[in-house]
Amino acid sequence: MVDLNLLYHGFGTVLSGYNLIALVLGSFFGIIIGAIPGLTATMGIALLIPFTFGMTPITGIVMLLGIYTGAIYGGGIASILINTPGTPAAAASCFDGYPMAKKGLAGKAIGIATISSGIGGTFTALCLAFFAPILANFALRFSAPEYFALATFGLSVTITLSGRSPVKGVISGLLGLLIAMIGLDPIGGFQRFTFGWTEMSGGISFVPMLIGLFALSEGFHQVEVILSAPRISAKLNNILPTFQDIKSCIPAYLRACPIGLIVGITPAIGADTAAFLSYAETKRASKHPETFGTGEPAGVAAAQCGENASTGGDVLPMITLGIPGDACTAVLMGALTIHNLQPGPMLFQNHADTVHQIFAGMISANIVFVILGLIFARFFAKVINIDRKFLVPLIFIACMVGSYAINNVLFDLITCVIFGMIGYIMVRFDFPVAPMVLAQILGSMMESNFRRSLSMSQGDFLIFFTRPITVIILALAVFTTVVSVRRQNQALKQEAEQLAKLGI
Amino acid sequence: MPKISLKKVDIIVSLLVIPICLYVFYESARWPVIADTGNAAWVPRGDAVCLMAAAVLLFVKALRGRSLTIPSRLAGTDRSRVLWIAVLTGAYTLTVEYLGFIATGVPYMFGFAFVLGERRWVRLVLFAVGVPIATYILFRTALHVPLPQGWFI
Repeated sequence: MVDLNLLYHGFGTVLSGYNLIALVLGSFFGIIIGAIPGLTATMGIALLIPFTFGMTPITGIVMLLGIYTGAIYGGGIASILINTPGTPAAAASCFDGYPMAKKGLAGKAIGIATISSGIGGTFTALCLAFFAPILANFALRFSAPEYFALATFGLSVTITLSGRSPVKGVISGLLGLLIAMIGLDPIGGFQRFTFGWTEMSGGISFVPMLIGLFALSEGFHQVEVILSAPRISAKLNNILPTFQDIKSCIPAYLRACPIGLIVGITPAIGADTAAFLSYAETKRASKHPETFGTGEPAGVAAAQCGENASTGGDVLPMITLGIPGDACTAVLMGALTIHNLQPGPMLFQNHADTVHQIFAGMISANIVFVILGLIFARFFAKVINIDRKFLVPLIFIACMVGSYAINNVLFDLITCVIFGMIGYIMVRFDFPVAPMVLAQILGSMMESNFRRSLSMSQGDFLIFFTRPITVIILALAVFTTVVSVRRQNQALKQEAEQLAKLGI
Repeated sequence: MPKISLKKVDIIVSLLVIPICLYVFYESARWPVIADTGNAAWVPRGDAVCLMAAAVLLFVKALRGRSLTIPSRLAGTDRSRVLWIAVLTGAYTLTVEYLGFIATGVPYMFGFAFVLGERRWVRLVLFAVGVPIATYILFRTALHVPLPQGWFI
């Protein structure tokens, strides 16, 4: 169970001195990153990790949590004002947000979006604080075979992250697994795949690879499609919603909060799915579904609330089991590791105070972005107009500084640039990058626990089939793989049929 | 814009992946075997076998004309800009440790914004000079994160 005393002290730590400044700055930059179309929460966290190097672990982590929650919320601002989602997760907010803006209600739409995101985010952060210690306590029973099974399950999720082609997702994931094996053997200590380079004996540094694949590659994409900044015509008045406005959205919150949480916990689906499901369910249950799509405030509320309600669910398996469910939490996990906090059940045993500070930080971040969002709404709206000719070079220089600053070695900078180019080429030719990153994280966990399990059983493979929890998790991995492949094949068949109908 | 097939790309990727898999087998054959902990080569080889199977599947799909099409989002894009930026970034990466962060950062930022189409010279120069200096001061003094010094700064 959550330790209320530790949580209380966690709030004391998070809301004092530098931690509070870091939280506010993180939320502020997070909203800016979210509001600019083309920049995602994942990219924002990857870009700003280097800014946390000189900070204490908790200061750095609350800043990143601020960026995470702020960016997820900020995506809705662009959806409402220019009908272009700031982040992929905010696409559902376009349906009713933009029609509200066209009716001259842009201020009201942004106000409702802000409050709704705050409600969803706070709900899910409270659930995280409640459920995470229970799950971590259960996970303490796990041994090497269970961790091997968990890592295998995590890798099976990569199939689900494969976008349009499962084969390409599998190739990306398996290549990531090979990259994870570069460096010293986890048991024997001999060098593998290093080609005699001493720089590679410690393996490929995770953060430069991450910055390259998620931030620099997106930077290259922005260079390719660079667009003139969109013009915003909507005037922002009456941003603070009335009590009646919020009261009318309560049914939407009651649906969106649990949907967002459950979707968040489910591996490989995140804020975008949560927003769409919440919107669809609210519309289905409404007495006037015909008003949705024409500027219905409940539509904006459902999408934004569901979107932010997924954040706590996304963090739950990462912090308790060390299994990131999506790209964003994979980056967050990397950030925790840099600050010597290895996610997993032992984190709750060895750093219980820090864990509760993280919970307090997550809850506070959801309140801070609401305050900032309401006060600086007009400023964030103007940020959408930022000139890409200056923004894109800034992204590049931040990537360079970030990857170099980790260990102050040129090799990390080169790693970042190479993976940036690889990531750009992969995305351009429809190979997803998220499976590669997830496999790189889970690869060493899978391999070392596989070998430890065999060591426990003196080489007997039956150890993976005689332990109930291991068998259940491995069965889940097989089930997830089969369902994902079938679902994607069906989607591809439908796409082919549609193309055939159009004569393409 | 007509949809472009990824057939050639899929074939090239498949052909690139297969030698990587073969190299895994070649190198892992030289690794020592430690008793009771499983062969160190099992996981990499298992990965290589699966990877090769996926590559063959992609190859066969491409040959049978079942490759996907490139999404239409690429319409109206400019690849020459990407090439220029890649060259600039490569040059920056290779020289930053020798020349220093600001000495390389100024021409890098100038060239970058220029390639992206910025032609307002005063803004361009202010941006190119201001960003590396501001970044350097922020990281060195406020965040205590060292940056490359080089022969200059």
